[in-house]
Amino acid sequence: MGAMQNALRNAATRRLLITWAVLMGLTLITMLSAQLGGEARLAALPLWSAGLLLATTFFKAHRVLMVYLGLSDASPAWRGAFVGLVLATLVLVASGYLVAQLA
Amino acid sequence: MTDRYPTSDPRPLPNPGWGPLSALPGNPLMWVLILSEMVVFAAFFGLFAWLRAGEREVFDASQQLLDPVAGGLNTMVLLTSGLFAALAVQAIKAGHVRRCRQWLWAAFALGVVFCVVKVVEYADKLGQGLMPETNTFFTFYYLLTGFHFAHVLFGLGLIALVAWRISHANVETAAAFWHMVDLIWILLYPIIYLLR
Repeated sequence: MGAMQNALRNAATRRLLITWAVLMGLTLITMLSAQLGGEARLAALPLWSAGLLLATTFFKAHRVLMVYLGLSDASPAWRGAFVGLVLATLVLVASGYLVAQLA
Repeated sequence: MTDRYPTSDPRPLPNPGWGPLSALPGNPLMWVLILSEMVVFAAFFGLFAWLRAGEREVFDASQQLLDPVAGGLNTMVLLTSGLFAALAVQAIKAGHVRRCRQWLWAAFALGVVFCVVKVVEYADKLGQGLMPETNTFFTFYYLLTGFHFAHVLFGLGLIALVAWRISHANVETAAAFWHMVDLIWILLYPIIYLLR
């Protein structure tokens, strides 16, 4: 406990703990938006739900890159490259998903 | 090669002498690895999503056989392990070697929990006769989660090694690898387990 109390005094550590709490919350939102309970689990997700799921995924990846991996200290070009790659991945997944829904 | 950001930012570059990689924090070679792994997984995720478009019924029926709650719990376990790895970096930056080692072993322990959940999940699927050759969905399920699992095992080895041979550079490099493992799972979980 002493170690935890010391760590809390540090602003950088506080930022890590806040990020962790946000990531936990977003994971719960991701799971809730996927409607895992009852009959809904057997049906296709509504579009808003799939959109929310991918949006929370993007935000989680963004937080891990910026805070856990420390990319917020890197140059704007590198930040843009990594965030752009995550965004491109999710856009590719979303476009495949939309094609499947419309087919 | 300038040792500062190309803007009016007065901060010195974290890795002077590394060319375009100079502006990245931590070990520049680890960033090369992170970028290449992200590109490989991005290609697989894209391929998975587009193959699903051609076999939607098969993919959706197969996805129903997975346990999304176990996957979600594993996401939380891995993210918490990532927090501990980040706290280990903070500790070594402050010169607290013993505390750093404690955080590293805490991160390691949660990594092991992730592996145990995954092994139970694999055993369940294999017990039901669901093999990589069952259909395209399960080929990708085993390929992607297996590839990620291999990274988790390598990361655990790296954390153990770094906890033994502790130094600022070692801890930062191992933590960066571990966060990449986090990052890949954050993308993998909703794509394989949830999106339908």
